[in-house]
Amino acid sequence: MGLVDIILMIVIIAGAVYLLYRSLWKKKGHCPGCDSETCKPEKKYNPKDC
Amino acid sequence: MMQDTGYKIQDKDMHHASGIMHQRTITVAVAGNPNSGKSTLINAIAGTRLYVGNWPGVTVEKKSALFEYEGTNIKLVDLPGTYSLSPYTQEEIIARDYLVHEKPDAIINVVDATNLERNLYLTVQLLELGIPVVMALNIHDEAVSKGYKIDIKIMEDALGIKVIPTVATKKIGLNELLRAVTDTSGHHPKKLNYGSDIEAAASAVEKQIKNSYPQLLKKYPLRWLIFKLMEEDSHVMEEINVGDKSFIEEATKHLKKAHGNDVESIMADERYALASGLTHEVLKKPEFRKMEMTEKIDKIVLNRFLGIPIFLAAMWVVFKLTFDFSAPFADWIDAMTTGPFKRWAEAILGFIHAPEWTVSLATDGVIAGVGFVIVFVPVIFAMMFFITFLEGSGYMARAAFVMDRAMHAIGLHGKSFIPMLLGFGCNVPAVYATRVLENPRDKALTSLLIPLMSCGARLPVYVVFIGAFFTAYAGTVLWSLYVMGIALAVLMGIIFKRTLFKGESPMFIMELPPYRMPSFRSLMIHTWEKGKHFLIKAGTYILAVSILVWFLLNLPWGVENKKDSYLGKMGQVIAPVLEPVGFGNWEAASSLVSGLIAKEIVVGTMGEIYVQKKDEKKEQPALTDDLKEMGTSFASAVRDSASNVISTFGISSLSSEESAEEKEERSPLRDVIKSKFTPLSAYAFIAFVLLYMPCVVVAIAMRQEFGTWKWFGIAFAYQMALAWIVAFTIYQGGKLIGLG
Repeated sequence: MGLVDIILMIVIIAGAVYLLYRSLWKKKGHCPGCDSETCKPEKKYNPKDC
Repeated sequence: MMQDTGYKIQDKDMHHASGIMHQRTITVAVAGNPNSGKSTLINAIAGTRLYVGNWPGVTVEKKSALFEYEGTNIKLVDLPGTYSLSPYTQEEIIARDYLVHEKPDAIINVVDATNLERNLYLTVQLLELGIPVVMALNIHDEAVSKGYKIDIKIMEDALGIKVIPTVATKKIGLNELLRAVTDTSGHHPKKLNYGSDIEAAASAVEKQIKNSYPQLLKKYPLRWLIFKLMEEDSHVMEEINVGDKSFIEEATKHLKKAHGNDVESIMADERYALASGLTHEVLKKPEFRKMEMTEKIDKIVLNRFLGIPIFLAAMWVVFKLTFDFSAPFADWIDAMTTGPFKRWAEAILGFIHAPEWTVSLATDGVIAGVGFVIVFVPVIFAMMFFITFLEGSGYMARAAFVMDRAMHAIGLHGKSFIPMLLGFGCNVPAVYATRVLENPRDKALTSLLIPLMSCGARLPVYVVFIGAFFTAYAGTVLWSLYVMGIALAVLMGIIFKRTLFKGESPMFIMELPPYRMPSFRSLMIHTWEKGKHFLIKAGTYILAVSILVWFLLNLPWGVENKKDSYLGKMGQVIAPVLEPVGFGNWEAASSLVSGLIAKEIVVGTMGEIYVQKKDEKKEQPALTDDLKEMGTSFASAVRDSASNVISTFGISSLSSEESAEEKEERSPLRDVIKSKFTPLSAYAFIAFVLLYMPCVVVAIAMRQEFGTWKWFGIAFAYQMALAWIVAFTIYQGGKLIGLG
């Protein structure tokens, strides 16, 4: 296994870990409705948000 | 009456509407009671190009659309379905805050013509806002077929608004409705007379506002503000911070004394009286009323003895149809991913001289991992379709109603069953949907029980195992898992009620909508909304986990036996704990660990572990042969699916008699699983998958909803214990009675 293979492997693993973090934590598992603002912490209605 | 609305959608992107702002643009809010056909009306007007989002910070869906109608740009905003504009539920607060603060140019008030009196209560409140209102007298055809005669002219004169009969499901009346909406400029609804006592108090408050708080007149509709101050509405009082409230006390003193009640109740009574009086004026019902179909069906469906068995039977039919319809398509995708797609990936990577390990990563990692999950997309969509059908037909509301008694046994009420029903699709939005429950105790208890509702992500695991072991009674086995989840939720609820959540269960009043045949279009839209996230998941974190699992299976680099890989070693540490429950091997243990991310990954990981790469070099078919094969096999999948559904309880392709060679070729994973498990251990395994810990995303959702990891910690601990105990009971009990 050469250096290029190792670098490629690290890049793929890092990409997969980042994708996992982004999908699970930031995108809330892409649950239905969460792509919009459903899963934001509950807060009072603010008309400026619309 | 029109059959076609004739309007034109200009732009679906609500955030980039400035390009068409040179024309007159009006904002129109759509308000109405739940089940008044509001969503159908919006869908009929704006079609699939609706912008669907959510009201900020809440799970309440927000739909909006921008389109042109006869030279006017109309921005349509769908408000949550509410019975009134009081400040007690999330939906009511959203609707009234929008109307008061955003001041739309007009309101379309969707009114169910078959239920006039109740719907007019909201209309009376909308008129208080002083915003031009156009009433869509919806479901008018049903009212006519019941023999109702509604005098539109009297209603228009009494309320000072345009009233348009509509049938949203057939797109009737939409043209007239939109024309009336664009023609409301300068029209203001009639100021309804609330009686001398209320009007006298209102005049006194009005005078004081004009003298002491003139700045409020710019911000709030005057009559609405007067009434809210008289009612001492807590939200409004807090928002506007009136210092000296003595003028309100003074103005309402006589009113309270004369009626012997608080102003809020007096106002509510008066609004009901107005709605009731108007209904008697405009509505003539036939003297002899036949028992309606809804009542006839409800007599059986809501029967105290038959209700729950009918619900269970309905769910059984759903699962049976799901299997019968989707199995041929699942088989087709399975054949495609393990055949042509794999070959094409190998060919492309070979062509660009990619390192050999990347070919293995792509085929044994990504295609095996993601592919084995994608295979079950038809099953998931079919399930969502049938559940959406039950929801749209009005049956699911009955399910919540019949479950109310069972829910009381566990210290909850039927309203909690609604988030739990959502959990059959995905547990994550179900946890967020507990926000509809006012009581924190109900929220926490419901959230703890939601993971026991079998979500769609668990389906792929069930389908693989059922396909391998229980083909002859696939629907029944699948149904048994869902029933097991519900039964254990009831059991755990009773235990929690006696330990963590002592207290009385609150009352629950719910409306049962009439039975209706949902339109195919609306079914498809909602099925897509529910099912699409499985596709997104497959392309994101299931892909990521498949890649990571492949590395864990191949590290340390050059490992010969998968058992010696990192994943294998981790599985071997856990396997002894699973020995008594019938699947104490490292493969099953590793799959369960990866399934903590998402349950369908259990199948993906098994695909990567079990399905061995074939070394023998077969002659590769040409691309055209592959495409031809894809087409013909898809056609036969359609034929099989249709024949399965027609025969309803016929034999699905999962149970079709195939030659062993053909079956291995088409479903290698099912075949390997058959050699690694017994029917008893397989059932114990799928029961374990049903019950063991909620996935990581549910954990995050619980943390966000409750601001603490405590409830997730409790869910994790009890579910792990429950899963082990149930699997142990199934496996050891089965062996004891000779099933092993």
